[in-house]
Amino acid sequence: MNPFILIGLLAILPGCVAIYLASPNQCWLARPWPARRARIAGLLLWIGGLAALLQALQPAAAGFVFSHWLMLLFVLFPYLGAWPEWRRRVHQ
Amino acid sequence: MRSEFIRIYKSVHTWTGIVAGMALFIAFYAGVITLFKAPLARWATPPSNAYGRALSLDEVPALIERTLQQHPAAGRDFQLQLKAAEHLPQGLSWQLHPPGADEHDHAATRHYLATLQADGSVQAGEVQPSGLTDLIDTLHRVVGLPLDSDPTRWVMGVIAALYAMALVSGVIVLLPSLLKDLFALRVGRNLKRMWLDAHNVVGIISLPFHLVMALTALVFAWHDGFYAIQDRLIHGGQWGSAFAIRGSTTAPAAPRDPAAMLPPAELLGRVQAQAPGFRPSALQYLNVTGPRAAVRVWGDDPQAHSPRFAGGFVAIDPYSGKIVSTDFLPGSQSLPNALIASFFALHFGTYGGTPLQWMYFLLGLAGAWLFYGGNLLWLETRRAKAPRNGNDAAAGPPPQRRNVRWMAAATVGVCLGAVCGISLSIVAAKWLHGRVADLNGWHHALYYATFFSAVAWAFWRGAAHAAVHLLWLAAAFTLAIPATSLLGWCLPASGLWVHASMAALGVDVTALAGSLGFAWLARATAQRVAHGPADSIWSARSTASA
Repeated sequence: MNPFILIGLLAILPGCVAIYLASPNQCWLARPWPARRARIAGLLLWIGGLAALLQALQPAAAGFVFSHWLMLLFVLFPYLGAWPEWRRRVHQ
Repeated sequence: MRSEFIRIYKSVHTWTGIVAGMALFIAFYAGVITLFKAPLARWATPPSNAYGRALSLDEVPALIERTLQQHPAAGRDFQLQLKAAEHLPQGLSWQLHPPGADEHDHAATRHYLATLQADGSVQAGEVQPSGLTDLIDTLHRVVGLPLDSDPTRWVMGVIAALYAMALVSGVIVLLPSLLKDLFALRVGRNLKRMWLDAHNVVGIISLPFHLVMALTALVFAWHDGFYAIQDRLIHGGQWGSAFAIRGSTTAPAAPRDPAAMLPPAELLGRVQAQAPGFRPSALQYLNVTGPRAAVRVWGDDPQAHSPRFAGGFVAIDPYSGKIVSTDFLPGSQSLPNALIASFFALHFGTYGGTPLQWMYFLLGLAGAWLFYGGNLLWLETRRAKAPRNGNDAAAGPPPQRRNVRWMAAATVGVCLGAVCGISLSIVAAKWLHGRVADLNGWHHALYYATFFSAVAWAFWRGAAHAAVHLLWLAAAFTLAIPATSLLGWCLPASGLWVHASMAALGVDVTALAGSLGFAWLARATAQRVAHGPADSIWSARSTASA
């Protein structure tokens, strides 16, 4: 695998975390992160990650990988956040 | 007025989802396995001298010449694999279809293989490659129906249309609260709210993925009809003649001599000069004795998206070495061709390499959950609940309606039946090899016997009990996949085998993880059946009404 793909995916991951934690519906923390700063940081990480993907892939392929990685992470994050609460209720 | 519209779209979403949901579950579950078709085929192919090693390119011209002398029919379309893998033959392979058979009908296709012997002679004969991956691919393409034919593809088209309607109507229903509820997954006493959030998170976030799947599936299913309409309206019914060989009304040209073809190494050199980033994987020779002989050099470009599941190809004239077409060459397509290819690539996940395949795997499983969860939501909405004041506690839980019980049984039986059937069919590839005459027939028989038994069991025992039983069965059948390989490693005399390639071992590791997941789900479901609210279709204490 081209290392730039791995670098790109790893850069996008914390970008998505920052944007998720800026949401009022996030369920990882007691309070969401400051929205403006977290979203700017997330967007910058996205841009960096996409730039890395573009080193390894043609623009269309890089865009497809980028968008599918975003979709997967944003689907997983709410489930990961709900997991402890769900387990607590099951064991009650 | 707005709420009136929302109510209509909600109704459309509910009923299109309910009608298509179980078929889509099968399509998605089989689809995520089809993503790893090659590793699964490697896992299922028994060790053999004719497979697993690449043929030296120097030997190919003699093999082609001698094979075509003995089997002229192969000259229409034969393949040469350039890479070595357990499921790839080290010789020339070709397929013959009975007259009138559908091109997608794998069951009717006969496979042949010609190999070069040590004394320079050619040994050719019929072979029976594993049909396991074809079965799973067929289940994916025609939503669990047994045969990939025109009628079953039309059914798939209807399901895909309902899927698209469900997606659009679902988004319209959610529009008023889309931003407010984005990422919300509220776990609490309100089970309906929880299932709704769990359903919406997947549906909204991965909406682009699902829209592409729905629209491409629609086109795959009905493309023949689209072409027919296009021919009549745009080409005046003359489209077919545009592809006829010029001068075909004159006397046919004399057959060309395949011995005069350029050697494969020369053809590959010309392709590399045209597209340095292209990685060839196979050569497909077409009509080699005819006036329009061509070789499709199949392969992929790791930087670009591929237009087909098997990659893309460049067409080259095997006699002159002239590049005939780059319309399907990944990374070198014209803008219109690249645009059309991107729809295929987005459906098949043929870009970005292994990381992207795993993303598709997880998004596909989330999609299967989306449809299963949609049915759970329908059931939760319609369950008969016990009164909150507790005055009627002595009377026991309220009886559940028949339509709710039947929908729950169908959801459990169909979805888990498909899971169990696929796992058992995979296991059978090793256990039945060499022990039955028609292994591919057995794959089909085992899948459908398991599937219909699971459906019958779910209706007989009820959804709650059957869900636990079938989840344990899914865990057992899926665990049998790596256990079979382990047994083949420990006891080679048993006739079982294990391949040491990462791809084949990856199948075992993934199956092991899947079986642990099913076991965990079975345990959690059993707890809910035993200790969950009694006024639920998923409780052992629930009662039935007429």
